[in-house]
Amino acid sequence: MEPLKIGITGVRGVVGQTLTPELVVRFAEAFGSYLDGGRVLVCRDPRPSGPMVQAAVTAGLLSVGCEVVDLGICPTPTLQLAVPWLGAKGGVSITGGHNPPEWNALKFARGDGLYLSAIQGEELLDIFHQGAVERVGWDRLRTRVEEQDAIDHHLAALAARFDASAVRARRLRVAVDCGNGSCARLVPRWLEALGCEVLPINDDPSLPFARLPEPSVATAAQARAIVLAGHADLGFVLDADGERLSLVDETGRPLSEERTLPLAAEAALTRRKGPVVTNVSTTGLVERVAARHGATVVRTPVGQAFVSEAILEHGAVIGGEGNGGVAVPEIQATHDSAAAIGLLLEHLAHAGRPLSALDADLPTLVMRKLALPVAPRLLFSALQEFREAVGEVEGATVDQTDGVKILWPDGWVHVRASNTQSLLRVIAEADDAGRAQELADWARERLRI
Amino acid sequence: MRAIPTLKISISGVRGVVGDSLTPELVARFAQAFGTWVGGGRVVIGRDPRTSGEMVRQAVMAGLASSGCRVSDLGVVPTPTVQLLVRQLGAQGGIAITASHNPPEWNALKFVGGDGLFLSAARGRELLDIYHQGDYAKAKGADQRTPERIADAVERHVRAVLEGVGPLPAGRPLRVVVDPGGGAASLAAPRLVEALGAEVSAIHATADGRFPRPAEPVAENLGALAEAVRARRADVGFAQDMDGDRLAIVDEAGRPIGEELTLVLAADEVLRRTKGPVVANLATTDAVDAMAARHGSPVFRTRVGEANVAEGMRLHHAVIGGEGNGGVIWPAVNFARDSLVGMGLVLHRLAGSGRPVSALASEYDRFRVVKLQRHCPAEQGRTILARAREAWAGRPVDLTDGVKVRLEDGWFILRASNTEPIVRVIAESTTEERARAIAESVLADVASWL
Repeated sequence: MEPLKIGITGVRGVVGQTLTPELVVRFAEAFGSYLDGGRVLVCRDPRPSGPMVQAAVTAGLLSVGCEVVDLGICPTPTLQLAVPWLGAKGGVSITGGHNPPEWNALKFARGDGLYLSAIQGEELLDIFHQGAVERVGWDRLRTRVEEQDAIDHHLAALAARFDASAVRARRLRVAVDCGNGSCARLVPRWLEALGCEVLPINDDPSLPFARLPEPSVATAAQARAIVLAGHADLGFVLDADGERLSLVDETGRPLSEERTLPLAAEAALTRRKGPVVTNVSTTGLVERVAARHGATVVRTPVGQAFVSEAILEHGAVIGGEGNGGVAVPEIQATHDSAAAIGLLLEHLAHAGRPLSALDADLPTLVMRKLALPVAPRLLFSALQEFREAVGEVEGATVDQTDGVKILWPDGWVHVRASNTQSLLRVIAEADDAGRAQELADWARERLRI
Repeated sequence: MRAIPTLKISISGVRGVVGDSLTPELVARFAQAFGTWVGGGRVVIGRDPRTSGEMVRQAVMAGLASSGCRVSDLGVVPTPTVQLLVRQLGAQGGIAITASHNPPEWNALKFVGGDGLFLSAARGRELLDIYHQGDYAKAKGADQRTPERIADAVERHVRAVLEGVGPLPAGRPLRVVVDPGGGAASLAAPRLVEALGAEVSAIHATADGRFPRPAEPVAENLGALAEAVRARRADVGFAQDMDGDRLAIVDEAGRPIGEELTLVLAADEVLRRTKGPVVANLATTDAVDAMAARHGSPVFRTRVGEANVAEGMRLHHAVIGGEGNGGVIWPAVNFARDSLVGMGLVLHRLAGSGRPVSALASEYDRFRVVKLQRHCPAEQGRTILARAREAWAGRPVDLTDGVKVRLEDGWFILRASNTEPIVRVIAESTTEERARAIAESVLADVASWL
């Protein structure tokens, strides 16, 4: 049985196993009680368990006196942007994101549309665990209404920020693989608004996922085929709910999702100087790009809520994570693939060069990633023992922002517990594959699992 | 004294107060238990317009989808519409979300089998066991089905009734006032009357979860209807309860004729079309027997409750059946207490006879029913019934349900409620004064035994 993960980032599990309607109802009641009633937006991605989970969320929110605004199948960032627009107190996005179709999860947004911070997430968990929910009587129950305009609102916000005329002048041909996720309702329209010739694939949310939802080199095969067959200038690979993005260049070469943020940072810093925010697990390319523009990089624990908080705190011009998530703060301080697409296409248009050339401007670093399954009861003690085994390292610094990261002048290795699965993740990065493997092995030897 | 719990989980369903005992978690569990019991497949759901209806509906959908059912959602519809559509759609079962005539803070789930009938006691016990055992079927996420919305359920129901009873005969159209009480039949009642070819006006026909009058269609709650019937010079007024299974009638002068006569008038119409057995519960007026005797049709009596009457109707191959609370079951259209069926049949009886409602009702003047109740601690209910059996041992006593005693000039029945700490007495005699005197004397006896 797959584990259930209840944490400050929400609740995630496998439907048909651990993610039961009772659990979802209780969590939604806790969230509604945390917000103290009021208007709450709800959306979902199109996976088949979505209607069940959404019904349970709606029942729970109504039970504690919330008004539920149903956005239907809709990207998470669209919901996040709509929360302040509709004067809501919060939002719940029902999405397994990049996880396979049998998973589902609840993600909680607060009144400004951003995910709950770590402290707020702890408060919500306390209410959930204590069962301290406040159900209301028949005369204080609100109802559910449907809202159709959230995607139009998102498109209008994007159009107001980006230079569509520059993109339009280039008459770009763009392939986009929506993976039959909720982005199919947003991204093709956004590309058309930018004057692109759009070559969409997997753009019907009523069909099953056509591939694993996580954007990566491995899931880019269909986008690559469309880029080649359609002679496109580039291709985009999207996850199920609009937070992650990877790229395919005009030669059909899929780029690692780790390169999405550095390319977006280059685009953002070309436009305006300012700090860059990313998590401690993300490629060191971010520092290299920032250094060219004399910008600083702020590193946070892994998780969007931390990135969002740091963007606000430092007034960052761009933020994101190595999974292909990019936040453009002028739109919103949270991952938004449509905003990232606007930023990248605008940059491509202004630069007048193909994506392969822009990518070639960035150095190539090599990453080695290990995912080590650990029993839930040992997950954090294994990490603790690793920290003790590492001790002081000659010629390196040890960073404990999130898990344990050891940085040498020519590379780094990072060991942390996954937020979403019972795994320890080991990530090493260096200029060449040999050194990256050496660093990963160095960490693996010191892990007693 | 300990507080009386508001939650009632029994073989006839689950009922509770929202914001208190009827939580969405409990509802989701019960829906999963039902989904497990039906074994997946299509399940029809509908709700009455109470403010808690949407919350409960969402929890029901979550539970059904989780247990692998495909939900066919009818929206706000009468309970008999759910029962009809279960059969029309070939579904495995149905759930009606309604607390019927209970006040607005209540809500409940009523479970319907694949035959369109409420679960029998035996099936209800199976469901309850599954609920308590908590081992519910869980469909894999990838196999779960998106609920479908059936938008034309009310039209289907109206059409079925119209096809069953036929249009009213040509001539002067009957003038009808309907009072659905802001309930689930608010849309269906005026549509049906119009479709039958009568002139209709409606009061209390906005189903927004407010209760414009108390939900039970008994005489003291029908003042506005009586006034509307007089003001509009209507031939008849119809009142329904919150979930549209019960029907009460007001005559052309605005006088409630008593909900006991709804079944009598409707059955009279059916027996004129088809001779055959009639089934009623044993607390229903003897006017049923008088009416049936004229058609040479036998009457069979059952325990109180729709499931019991329906079971008796199957057993005896009844052509019509129902209960004295205004519930009419005509299997030719719907094997359920159905106020729309009741309206169709009564309007036909009215048009066919060419006489006013008051004249039809006056044929049963010598059947007068009085219903009274009093508090009785639940643990004493059985003792009271035992004392009653002793006290009236010399009389003809029927122990099918509670204690029913036949007197020279009528009868009474004493029952302990299944859901509340009360005992109820229903008495019938040739005059209202005499019926009241009987009922009051029974309650006085009960008081002396407590």
